[in-house]
Amino acid sequence: MGDYKFAKDKLAEALSGLTDYEVFAPAAVGDVLRFKVVEDPASVSLDYDNTTVPPKELMFPQTETLFKYRLGQTDIEPTVPDASAKRAVVGIRPCDALAYTIVDNLYGWDFPDPYYQQRREATTLVGLACSDPCANCFCPSVGGAPASEKGLDALIFDLGDAYYVKTLTDKGEEFAKAAGLEAAGDAEAKAAAKQGEEALGKVQRSIDTAGIPEHLPELYDDKFWEQFSDRCLSCGICTFLCPTCHCFDIQDESEGFDSRRARMWDTCMFAEYTRHTSGHNPRPTRKERTRNRISHKYSYFPEKFDVIACVGCGRCINNCPVNIDIVDILEKSKQAGAKEAKTA
Amino acid sequence: MVDEKKLQDKARETLSRDDVRRLIGWKRSTYGYEAAPAVLTDASEADQLIFDPTCVQNPASFISLEEKKPVPRGQEPDTRKIAVMVKGCDSRAIVQQLVEKAYNRDDVVVLGIPCIGVIDRRKAEKLFGETGKQVKAKVDKEKVAVDIGGDVKTVDRKDILMDKCLRCRYPNPLVSDFLLGDEVEKWADDDFADVDEFEKMTPEEKWKHWDEQLSKCIRCYSCKSVCPMCYCVECVVTQQKPQWTRRSTDISENAAYHLQRAWHLAGRCIECMECQRVCPVDIPIMELNRKMTREVKEMFDYEPGVDAEAEPLLASYNPQDPEDYIM
Repeated sequence: MGDYKFAKDKLAEALSGLTDYEVFAPAAVGDVLRFKVVEDPASVSLDYDNTTVPPKELMFPQTETLFKYRLGQTDIEPTVPDASAKRAVVGIRPCDALAYTIVDNLYGWDFPDPYYQQRREATTLVGLACSDPCANCFCPSVGGAPASEKGLDALIFDLGDAYYVKTLTDKGEEFAKAAGLEAAGDAEAKAAAKQGEEALGKVQRSIDTAGIPEHLPELYDDKFWEQFSDRCLSCGICTFLCPTCHCFDIQDESEGFDSRRARMWDTCMFAEYTRHTSGHNPRPTRKERTRNRISHKYSYFPEKFDVIACVGCGRCINNCPVNIDIVDILEKSKQAGAKEAKTA
Repeated sequence: MVDEKKLQDKARETLSRDDVRRLIGWKRSTYGYEAAPAVLTDASEADQLIFDPTCVQNPASFISLEEKKPVPRGQEPDTRKIAVMVKGCDSRAIVQQLVEKAYNRDDVVVLGIPCIGVIDRRKAEKLFGETGKQVKAKVDKEKVAVDIGGDVKTVDRKDILMDKCLRCRYPNPLVSDFLLGDEVEKWADDDFADVDEFEKMTPEEKWKHWDEQLSKCIRCYSCKSVCPMCYCVECVVTQQKPQWTRRSTDISENAAYHLQRAWHLAGRCIECMECQRVCPVDIPIMELNRKMTREVKEMFDYEPGVDAEAEPLLASYNPQDPEDYIM
């Protein structure tokens, strides 16, 4: 596909050209970043590490109305998003784009989920390559890279004085045209490739995932998990901020007769997640819940869809208040198995 | 500061006791400016324990986090004690839990640690940047020395310590069975300057402030999960049947949650600041708690978590209690 560029001070101008799109970009409240609809292109900055809340919420909002109805009546009013209403997400990090390709498996599986899929189809993903990976990033260990193109329609590189934009799909091309970007040459493409290589070398953390999906089920009843779960708060930080966690609850809400059925993010770290109506809970303690979070990402999901449900963005590590560190857990899980085998 | 060798020896001795089942303290984390809580069950693990200004977490939070699983027929419940290491601020949680009869005094062994301040991760990151390296720290009356993977940076105590330390009135544990280290001198005081500052805002400014802050909330409930005073087995905000708080996130439900939380902590919050520390979206939760703390102090001359023999504020009545707050 094409090579484009634009001067750094022309970002607002480029975004202003996207009149056919609803444009999303990182926005800050204090130190907390989150993707928001761009209201003032001049306020957008692409000088950031990563958003605290992942952009999964753009496809799968934390609270989403599925349909509306009136109590006592049988008609429902579906609220499926419109696939023809174009959206562009500008500045998404490659890990978060990769996450969509993983979650696609689930939402396109036994029941193609129109809410998620319509949004995905309507959205053009314009990535921003990482030149300085964060302290707890480990994307190369799980199929990503600081300049990974997976799942993206275009990828922006920050070359210091200008942005180089590599388009990867027709949607990306269309975006570049709409934004009125000028053509770039070989020099920019080379500089971008070099930057990507260098960034890869700067990633500090890693985990060799070979054998982990097969091995984790062997630790199912092991005491191994307790060294982490004993300090787990059972809060929702790790899962809510995970770009691949996709669980939801469905509830009905009414204001008088006006009602809606909505779905909301749910998390396997909450005790009520698996609590049965009878009161029985098959995951009664934090041990089972911690085991489930790790095993789902690194064993159950890969078993079903042949891909690890983790993109190495580091959010669960950065934000855990009690230092439950997924890289540390996975590394120790390998030794736990070996010890078990020896004593058996 | 406490001698780590002495601390580990005491922990080893405590864990070796027949009547102790676990010990909660701190250990070095895998990275960054905060230690990790350590929950140990075996004396052989005691050499993991540390105490330095990275030990920010309140171990008293972890007492109630341990699930009480149904005991199989024919077996006796494990009634052995839990040993907890506490700083001065943390110890107030134990006192308040005792006031509320969350457990009996005999159920816990308290290892007290005099403390002159712990690091605020957010301040450290602003000063030195994020780090993936392991961090150690030392503090004296003036400075904090932060050792980031061998690279030592020194900074004024007031620039890096948690806000709670800068107004600390109880540097020495208010309850303890064994004191690890010598008592330290009180070096700060609390004049509620932060609350004064907040109250300068007009109602419109406050509304805008809370609208902006509470709109960020993702309802991960880390604030209530970490709170040592939020130990109800079933919390009213996550209860599904009947449901009192909706699961949907919007400013209305988010505000309802945070206001419920603030009210439930009135006269109970011991200001360890854990709620605000753990918040992934930086909601200044303590602004609500601090306001309640001052109201309670000024109206009822009550301070939670300082006297284990005291009655809980909301369970006590005095005919002289002011009534001005009743509309």
